Amino acid sequence: MDNDACASVEKELDRVVTKLEQLYETSTAEIGDIASLMSELVKVLNKAENEMVTTLNTSTQMNAPANVDDPMGDGVSMQVETEPAEPQRLTERQIEIIREALSKCNERVQKLSTEHRDLHGAVSKIGKAIDRNFSADFSSTMRVDVLQEEDNLMLVNKAIAKHYCRQGMDSVARTLIKECNMAEDNAQDVFDSEREFAEIYSIWLQIQKRYLREALEWTIRHSEQLLERHSIIEFRLHRMRFMQLVSQGVGSQNEAIMYARTNFKKFAVRYEHEIANLMASFIYLPGGLENSPYKHFLEQEMWTELSFIFLKDACQLLGISKNSALSVVINAGCTALPALLNIKQVMQSRQVLGMWNGCDELPIEIDLQPEFRFHSIFACPILRQQTSEDNPPKKLTCGHVISNDALHKLSNGHILKCPYCPVEQNSEEAVRIYF
Amino acid sequence: MSEIKALEHATLKVPYEILNKRFRNAQKAIDREVDQVMSSSRQVEKALDGEQPPILSDVTKLMGNVAQKLQVLKRKADESINDELSVTQICKRKLDHLKGIMPASSTTGIVWHGSVDQWKRTRLDRLVIEHLLRMGYYETAEELAARSDVRHLTNLDIFQTSREVEDDLANHSTTKCVLWCIDNKSKLRKINSTIEFSLRVQEFVELVRQNKRYDAVKHSRRYFPAYEKTQLNEICHVMALLAYPTDTELEHCKKYLDPKRWQQLVLDFRHENYRLFQLSTTSVFSAAMQAGLSALKTPQCYTQTCRNLNCPVCQEDLNRIALKLPYSHCVQSRLICRVTGLPLNEHNQPMMLPNGQIFGQLALTEITKEDGTVTCPITNTKFTNPKIEKVFVM
Repeated sequence: MDNDACASVEKELDRVVTKLEQLYETSTAEIGDIASLMSELVKVLNKAENEMVTTLNTSTQMNAPANVDDPMGDGVSMQVETEPAEPQRLTERQIEIIREALSKCNERVQKLSTEHRDLHGAVSKIGKAIDRNFSADFSSTMRVDVLQEEDNLMLVNKAIAKHYCRQGMDSVARTLIKECNMAEDNAQDVFDSEREFAEIYSIWLQIQKRYLREALEWTIRHSEQLLERHSIIEFRLHRMRFMQLVSQGVGSQNEAIMYARTNFKKFAVRYEHEIANLMASFIYLPGGLENSPYKHFLEQEMWTELSFIFLKDACQLLGISKNSALSVVINAGCTALPALLNIKQVMQSRQVLGMWNGCDELPIEIDLQPEFRFHSIFACPILRQQTSEDNPPKKLTCGHVISNDALHKLSNGHILKCPYCPVEQNSEEAVRIYF
Repeated sequence: MSEIKALEHATLKVPYEILNKRFRNAQKAIDREVDQVMSSSRQVEKALDGEQPPILSDVTKLMGNVAQKLQVLKRKADESINDELSVTQICKRKLDHLKGIMPASSTTGIVWHGSVDQWKRTRLDRLVIEHLLRMGYYETAEELAARSDVRHLTNLDIFQTSREVEDDLANHSTTKCVLWCIDNKSKLRKINSTIEFSLRVQEFVELVRQNKRYDAVKHSRRYFPAYEKTQLNEICHVMALLAYPTDTELEHCKKYLDPKRWQQLVLDFRHENYRLFQLSTTSVFSAAMQAGLSALKTPQCYTQTCRNLNCPVCQEDLNRIALKLPYSHCVQSRLICRVTGLPLNEHNQPMMLPNGQIFGQLALTEITKEDGTVTCPITNTKFTNPKIEKVFVM
């Protein structure tokens, strides 16, 4: 669907590009032709004039200018002091040729102008395609006032500064702090908060630039913990390093074999098949790795992927979040916005303000990725409502969980039959639980 | 609706508007040169049409004129069309970036998570840059764009122009803004902008402030009649300034003399610039921020005991921003173990300690000591060989 939207805009865009290129190639080329024709004509006229002057007072037996092919030395441009008695006049034939050239010229320049103007439709079609396929307005999906309060804006600045600090772009954070006049203590907080992440991040960047040394050192340092967590990163890094050596060609062959012997040993059991597979790459070495079934190891995607596995596993090991708060929020928001836009109509028909009260809930459930779920939410299966302090979840004696409100609605006096199993029980015996 | 469709309107619309403007400019330039060619060629024709056969040297001169004009036309047309083509390239690059959200590996068709993540990172940079620009933090935006190499995907250029105008306005000068108005005249008229009028009023006020009242009158004669139909009321109010001293206490006069009007002009200008490029008044960033906070916000984020350090809304700063935003909505329970962070399901059954706290089965080993005592990580209560019950969540 994404590609549909983009494709339809691209189609219109391509159309304009082709037309522009055509215009460039044909029409302006035509203008160029006519321009040089004109210049040529002028040159000939000039020549004719000079000739006239030189052959003073001879009868004007002039050919059509185009046919004048007298080889003209430079010496012809002799100064003629004496004024001709009668100025030279054009012959019928000459006039005819000039007229012809002029009408051709007029026709062509006008053609350029109209052809360019005709592009207007195609150009505005791009705009329409954009408007049709992309949504321009999301004001209905938000509370206008929240991000306009000074305090909140400063908090947003802080979150942005933290995010970039975390990514090792301290200078960006610093510029922002200066430009938005952030208070001293807040600024300090920014730099203190993300120190832990800095090392991981710099290694992450290095992997993307295809340097593995620091990453390997880090994983070897944390080898045992990684193993406990069944992390694949250590092997993946070694594998990549190995392939990197192999890809250097026959010259590095020995080094690669040595590398495999020292480093693959401890993965022998777990990755037996994979290692065998890797070693087979030597077969293709003379032909170049880029022409072999192993060529995908050379692609940048492989490295990007590796860097992200590293980031994920390293952060998990250190117990820190792999994404900054800002990126989690914005990415969650980017998932939520389309859904909210879809129900725009519903939101508008209801009272928008009531929709966006602090104590209220969003009108729909946003389907976030599991990694963006940080808290348990228990929705009562009977009433389809989230539980709260006033309406807490309760565990029945049989182990099923329902909300307090549902419990009261279902119980008859003290007697309650579990809605999920045949057990009858005393409703007082249900226990408040905490997720 | 997909993310691209919902969020990326401005990404494409701004370069489109630029293309559209270039197109108009190109048309204007071409038409102007075409007129030049036509009129010089008409002169030749006129000479040819004379009663007597025309004089050779005259015609040569006139023809030289035509040839020269044609050369100019050729050059202008080439320049203009190349200009337009270069803008289409900007659109194209942005489209290519948008299509990158789901990059299928060229050979295998596998979707790389790393690449998708990378794409989202770039998107975040883009959104932040737009937000920074809207907030007027130009230097930060520039630096970020340079550092993360996303300049070609942002609308920095149009904000750069607006930055110059804003700086000029902040220095109490209208020159650049007036030029901007002239540059975008037809478009501004189309969106019923009154920014130029506000500028003219401000110029008038400044003349009054400097006690150049005669000049002020001249200024008003020159510029105000154009707005007679729509702004008559305000014109009258402004003209009243002529009658009072500059330190007047009269409310409706004082408000015009307030230097804060310049700041208002900056904001007005910014707003008009958004409208011109069909940017919405709020940035995608702030909409995404709010929607995201809401989608993540749960009642637990506001309790003392149930906070999760990885949850952005539980962090102090964002917690405060989210205060007035709605909570996420949930009709289907989704339970996460507070010890391991893993979802509770059939592979990780929810278990209840005697105090009613629920944890996943996989977490039990972590909180059970070798002697059989279990410490509840939330309340710190110790239980010796407690009865741990299974619970069933539908």
